[in-house]
Amino acid sequence: MKKGKVTMIFTISIACFALTLVMFMQFKIVNETDITSIETMREEELRTELANWKQKYEETKQQYDKTHDKIEEYKEKKENNIETAVLVNEELQQSNILLGKTDLVGEGIEITIKEVQFDDYSRDPNEDFSKIQDSDLLLIVNSLKNAGAEAISINEERIINMSDIAYIGSTFIKVNGQRILSPYIIKAIGNKSYLESSLLGNGGAAEQLKKMGHDVQIIQSDNVLVKKYSGDINYKYITD
Amino acid sequence: MTKLKNSLVMGIMCCALTFGIFWQIRTVESSNVKVSQNYEENNLRAEVLKYKEKYDNEQKLLEKAESELEKERESATKTNSGLEDAEISIKKANKMIGLSEVKGPGVIVTLKDSPKNMVNVFNVANSVVHDIDILSVINELKNAGAEAISINDERLVITSAILCDGNVVRINKEKVGVPFVIKAIGLPESLAALERPGGYIEYLGKYVEVSLEKSNEITIPKYTGKIEFTYSKVK
Repeated sequence: MKKGKVTMIFTISIACFALTLVMFMQFKIVNETDITSIETMREEELRTELANWKQKYEETKQQYDKTHDKIEEYKEKKENNIETAVLVNEELQQSNILLGKTDLVGEGIEITIKEVQFDDYSRDPNEDFSKIQDSDLLLIVNSLKNAGAEAISINEERIINMSDIAYIGSTFIKVNGQRILSPYIIKAIGNKSYLESSLLGNGGAAEQLKKMGHDVQIIQSDNVLVKKYSGDINYKYITD
Repeated sequence: MTKLKNSLVMGIMCCALTFGIFWQIRTVESSNVKVSQNYEENNLRAEVLKYKEKYDNEQKLLEKAESELEKERESATKTNSGLEDAEISIKKANKMIGLSEVKGPGVIVTLKDSPKNMVNVFNVANSVVHDIDILSVINELKNAGAEAISINDERLVITSAILCDGNVVRINKEKVGVPFVIKAIGLPESLAALERPGGYIEYLGKYVEVSLEKSNEITIPKYTGKIEFTYSKVK
């Protein structure tokens, strides 16, 4: 009888010990599962990071090869004035394209925004909440750039690197210092479906204007003409 | 009676033990998965570092090649006055496009999230710098005659978009976080007009921390990406 009791206590204590062990193990597992979930997240992040750097590397490599080829060409044609002229003028043309000094054509979209005047006298006449403002056009231009637009114009005013959109006295909009009026016709060259979808959908800059009651129309086209910047493009304060 | 009780206790114990053993097996399995994941991750990390280094090296090579090209162009056009003008135009254009580093007088605008105690703020979103705030400051600077602009040393070029991406803002597809340091070259006095009463900086200052500083020597780096038009053709 006594012997049996000792055995029993012994067994139970072993069992208790085992149980505690299992419990601790469980705690450990819980901790570990937490860590693993963070790590899988990190892995995904690492993958995008890797893709990002790979792409940047490839791009730089391409650019380097291009520059290198050009150097070789210059060296080869150094003796020949006419061929050098061709090379230099090619480069100048490329610069002018990027600056906005040339008319460009290509596939893209045309957005027409007609401002709707509200003849509602209950509205405060000073309130320009319902009007199309500089920030609306700014957001559209920004969305188009994000979608890869290569050239943009608003009412034939070409958007260049230093273009501004100003809202003068809550009455009209100026682009490049030129007064523009409704209907606003924004032309953009780039992948037409990317460009269009960047403006539509929830939070899209064009969708927002539609919700406010303005008439917004987007046409996809294979032949959008974006005119060149009409003024002189130069600088005064950048030192040579 | 005691025998029944004993065997019941034993039975439960055995059950618990078996359970524990199964759990242990599972742990071993999952830790195996973890080891392989760690391995994978370390590999990825090494790979990222490798490409970063490769990119840096390539970027250095490119910079060298670009200055060499400039020299070649210069020496090739020296003998021809018509071409010399073209060569100068290219150099000037590269400065405006953002393909070369520029220096000059200007202003530095710094935007920070508001340090106010969030508990007392009605709408927290108001005290954070948004993409539209940056977009508006940039637009105002251009309006005041800025000739070159960078945000946290990301040069703004014709294709640059400013985009909200969760906690950060993306400029030229690169992540940029607070504080936003916007550098602009132009006449400091007219760029400083952003600070005028009723101006945009005063308006922004109600919500976030804004400061503007004039400087006579601002350096704006060149754009490190590539600008390539694939859809447009010259008419």
